[in-house]
Amino acid sequence: MNNSLKSSVPTDREVILGILNNSEDTLNKLYKAYYAMVLQFILNNNGDEDDAKDVYQEAIIVLYNKIKEGNFELSSKLKTYIYSVCRRIWLKKLSHNSKKAGNITDYEDVLIVEEDVEEHEQKDLQFVKMQSALDHLGEPCKTIIQDFYIHNLSMQDICEKFGYTNTDNAKTQKYKCLQRLKKIFFQP
Amino acid sequence: MRNDLELDAIIEDYLLGKLNPQETEAFETLRRNDASVDHKVVSHKFFLESMETFAAQSRLKDQLNSIHAEIDVETLASTLRPHPSKVIQLWRKHKSAIAVAASFLVLSLVSVYSIQHNTKQKEQLVLLSNQVNRAIKTQNSLIRKINNSATPAGKPVVQNSIGGTGFAISTNGYILTNYHIINGADSLYVQNSKGESFKVKATYTDPQNDIAILKISDKNFANLSSIPYTIKRNTSSIGEMVYTLGYPKDDAVLGEGYVSSKNGFVGDTTQYQVAIAVNPGNSGGPVLDNDGNLVGIISGKPDQTEGAAFAVKSKYILEAMRAIPQDSLGRNKLSANKKSGLSGLKRTKQIEKIQDYVFMIKAFN
Repeated sequence: MNNSLKSSVPTDREVILGILNNSEDTLNKLYKAYYAMVLQFILNNNGDEDDAKDVYQEAIIVLYNKIKEGNFELSSKLKTYIYSVCRRIWLKKLSHNSKKAGNITDYEDVLIVEEDVEEHEQKDLQFVKMQSALDHLGEPCKTIIQDFYIHNLSMQDICEKFGYTNTDNAKTQKYKCLQRLKKIFFQP
Repeated sequence: MRNDLELDAIIEDYLLGKLNPQETEAFETLRRNDASVDHKVVSHKFFLESMETFAAQSRLKDQLNSIHAEIDVETLASTLRPHPSKVIQLWRKHKSAIAVAASFLVLSLVSVYSIQHNTKQKEQLVLLSNQVNRAIKTQNSLIRKINNSATPAGKPVVQNSIGGTGFAISTNGYILTNYHIINGADSLYVQNSKGESFKVKATYTDPQNDIAILKISDKNFANLSSIPYTIKRNTSSIGEMVYTLGYPKDDAVLGEGYVSSKNGFVGDTTQYQVAIAVNPGNSGGPVLDNDGNLVGIISGKPDQTEGAAFAVKSKYILEAMRAIPQDSLGRNKLSANKKSGLSGLKRTKQIEKIQDYVFMIKAFN
């Protein structure tokens, strides 16, 4: 497993170009390339597989957004960057859960990535807010909104999926849902 | 309520650019005139942006989750989980550091070993005295008896003899040689180039510098004419041509070479190293430069190096001579002040001149 993962490690340049071009294959390779490293780090520092997954995905998202923003400068190996971000996120989680974080076992070099992680957390607040607003919305509103805005289904598809008699009815339903969602979302 | 919904629909279409030009214009007028409508547009815009990022993030997360599902987490986790053994944990953690330390250790061991190995090869000094066994000795003395009637008969039968070389430092019979030749000898004889032997006594020894001065105490000895060579005061430079005359066999043998090092055996500063092929019996022979200045005395050679010899520096000859009462050396003694009588002569002439002053030393014990 480990070997097959290592053999498909993409070069750092490949990763950046791939992400800029929305290549799923590159994302796939990137994800598989460094997962083991992060899993090892988390497992050896009071975490389990699920923690590793969360932390790793968060780090990948940080990297992904940074590349997409176009201001990512490769000043080190991607591996080191990902490791550093994961380490920072995991340290925060540990101290948040008031778990023992004094003695971190390191496996790689560490960069200073505080700023990137802070920035990501700011964005993540919005994400969490929207997620909880959607969760409070209830069915079928949640699914209609998700289908329309996230999965980009047309009103026609939604109309058929939910069995509305015509698209106008579906539209009215969608706007009702949207209104409630906005209300919840903008709640202080 | 109904109006609100319609307004929302129009706002969204407006923001997404789905309205036709007239509708857009109509809506913008409405927006300018009604602050509450404008507020709704702004907030909806913000909402849509949030929704968009949320949508992008969600899609990315879904993608990551589907990738994650392809990984066999269980197997991977079991190999990476902290091992119960502390040793293996340490190994994993410090793999690279341990590798570096180990290679450093190996390297230092190798270098220490090679240094030791080199030191073991250090050369041993072979003193060039000639151990002659009894059979040869008897033969030699027989020949001498036949050839030389001046030698006193009835010499004591001896077990061993050691041969070396010496040279005159004064005309009245003082001869300088190596201490190691005469060390432990009961009786000492010198033999000149004509084959005449004279009994000598050791008058001064300097074991430190391996120098001994002998005095001929034989009534048959006639004074020599003035000594042709002089002592060189300065130290010689590397590369200076030198030669020596000695008795590795019963006849005088010339050896030529150059000063090859300013120090002798293992950095001994009292000696030179000279590139002259020498043999047992050369010990005590004078080392002279082209002008007939005495540079040193052959005293030994390294046992591992061919064609090299060590010579005691000439300034120790001067020191040794000062230890002898100056009066007894006579007026025609070896000195550093006079001009050498060999200067400017060809090598063959030089040898002719000095061969009467170089003696074979025989030490019996």
